[in-house]
Amino acid sequence: MKLYEHEAAQIFGEMGLPVPEGVVVYSPEEAKAAAEKIGAPVVIKAQVLAGSRGLAGGVQAAETPEEAFAVASRIIGMGIQGIKVEKVLVTRKVSFQKELYMGITVDGYRGQPVVMVSSEGGMSIEEVARLFPEKIGTRHIPLNRGLMAFEARKLVKDTGFPAGQIGACADILVKLYQIFLRCNALIAEINPLVILQDGTLMAIDAKLEMDDSALKRLGKLVPRDHVRNETSMEKKGREIGVTYVELDGDIGMIASGAGLGMATMDIIGKKLRPANFLETGGGITEELLYKTMDLMMMKKGLRAIFINLYGGINPIHEGAKGIVRYIKEKGVKIPIVAKALGNRQEETWEIFRSGGVHVVEEVPTEKAVAKLFEVLS
Amino acid sequence: MSILLNKKTRVLVQGITGKIGSVQTHWMLDYGTNIVAGVTPGKGGANVEGVPVFDSASEAVVATGAEASVFFVPASFVLDAFIETVDAGIDLIVIVPEHLPVHDVMIMHDYLQQQTGRDIFVLGPTTPGITTAGEAKMGIMPGSLFKPGRIGIISRSGTLAYEMTGILTDSGIGQSTVVGMGADPVALTSLSNILKRYEADPGTDAVVIVGEVGGVQEEQAADYIKKMTKPVAAYIAGRFAPEGKKMGHAGAIIRGTQGTVKSKCEALGAAGVTILDTPIDVLPWAKKTGH
Repeated sequence: MKLYEHEAAQIFGEMGLPVPEGVVVYSPEEAKAAAEKIGAPVVIKAQVLAGSRGLAGGVQAAETPEEAFAVASRIIGMGIQGIKVEKVLVTRKVSFQKELYMGITVDGYRGQPVVMVSSEGGMSIEEVARLFPEKIGTRHIPLNRGLMAFEARKLVKDTGFPAGQIGACADILVKLYQIFLRCNALIAEINPLVILQDGTLMAIDAKLEMDDSALKRLGKLVPRDHVRNETSMEKKGREIGVTYVELDGDIGMIASGAGLGMATMDIIGKKLRPANFLETGGGITEELLYKTMDLMMMKKGLRAIFINLYGGINPIHEGAKGIVRYIKEKGVKIPIVAKALGNRQEETWEIFRSGGVHVVEEVPTEKAVAKLFEVLS
Repeated sequence: MSILLNKKTRVLVQGITGKIGSVQTHWMLDYGTNIVAGVTPGKGGANVEGVPVFDSASEAVVATGAEASVFFVPASFVLDAFIETVDAGIDLIVIVPEHLPVHDVMIMHDYLQQQTGRDIFVLGPTTPGITTAGEAKMGIMPGSLFKPGRIGIISRSGTLAYEMTGILTDSGIGQSTVVGMGADPVALTSLSNILKRYEADPGTDAVVIVGEVGGVQEEQAADYIKKMTKPVAAYIAGRFAPEGKKMGHAGAIIRGTQGTVKSKCEALGAAGVTILDTPIDVLPWAKKTGH
């Protein structure tokens, strides 16, 4: 789960990192009031879970409260990578002498957190890696002992951080590591960490992604209303208990596993465009697939549905009942092609056929998809 | 022949009294797996499908000589059960549950690194398990799909492992061992470690990798594959996966330009792997390799 900047900044601040005072607002009027309260000049920053918001015009300065009103009117409602901006963060504008970078992520291959620092901040770390690879320092941290202060000092020193700031920067890095641990984070990042004119440090951006599988035990640390970056259909999918990812094609797809679902999309995609990715996981019931059909049919312009199931841990005959009940109740007109193999497959095929579903008994998904192409031609 | 598991392997089932644990124990026994014990804390003395249940892994090991363990333990208890099982001396651990906190898995990874002098092999989390065709299975793979033979399969996904196995069996081509390595962001073994086992196994002639978007396992294995003598083919799923969206598995997520089908196919192709455009392409490849 990705946090909005203002949510991450709040956690950073509570855990001892220097962050600028800020107010989240939803309208130009509130932005003006916030600028008056904080004291202009201010920076107004779109709160969206998308990269490159600066390039898209989502971060702008305002010298006066009136200008804050004008800037906020431009930013609120704008689209950044297809996401509409609904709120902005108003913070005091600071002037700084240097921008630095600090980030901690999970190296899945090594199975350890990896700390990255750079004496070049303010641009994406991928960009720094491309332009100035020598200005990045990295270190893997054994989780059982954590990041020590001495190695944080060594890392920032070796990476060319300013001589007078080694101790203070190492202190911030250790705190960031503690936040990473405490929040069960997948990413904790400050970009940029700036050195102000008076020499003090400030984290003027904050990025934090919590592990979805750890949210339950994080309790109050998790922001309320924590579901984001999903379309209304993806939300409905999550509510009924399936993974639904909306795509721009017109062939609906239901699979009983993630890998099978991705492969099925690949195969359909050779000639047609998948409308979605949908996988049920191991929890198929009659009710689940009835609701899944309801979800699928919400997508406008759907031309056909392709179903691909394995009966290992899943009772696929139950699933077929739910699909056929939906077809009969709602009078579904578009063609449906199904492949279903495993425990009780013959019974499953019978049920599907009773609802007018085209059943393919062969094993390879390619052959079942060929049937779909044939039905649609 | 096979890798990691055969019909003699003495298997322990952790979480055996749970709903999934007991049902899957039935299917594993039915397939011929030598299950010698189960563990559920507090249920010692019971039995499931005729298998004696113990309170702890160490008691089960002492009483039955169990040497491999499969987990059907709720995600939040897996870390605890894992350390217990490693300490009990078990060297093959199969972790079926999904949705484990990534930080727990990193602690498990660190703990494994500290076990010097032992050769511990861990599959998962989020693995369908491991099946040696016609001999034994640990996990949830449907036994009816398999046919004994000489092709090894490694998959990050359960259902896609079934699809690949089913396509081969349907054409009369058998498998040696089919391994699910797990679909989480952090895996407790690497693709190259599993490939090493197949390379050394006299019962395996060729290996199929079934990958998917996310992570760098396939890219990292390329160096080892260059040194392999046995033919390797790979199918990578997820050409239509959008950036930044989890495709059902926690580890199946493209971050920026990392973890795409393209980067995986390029790395594997450069290592001499036959890239399968679609799963059914495994058949002409298998025929060409003499099956």
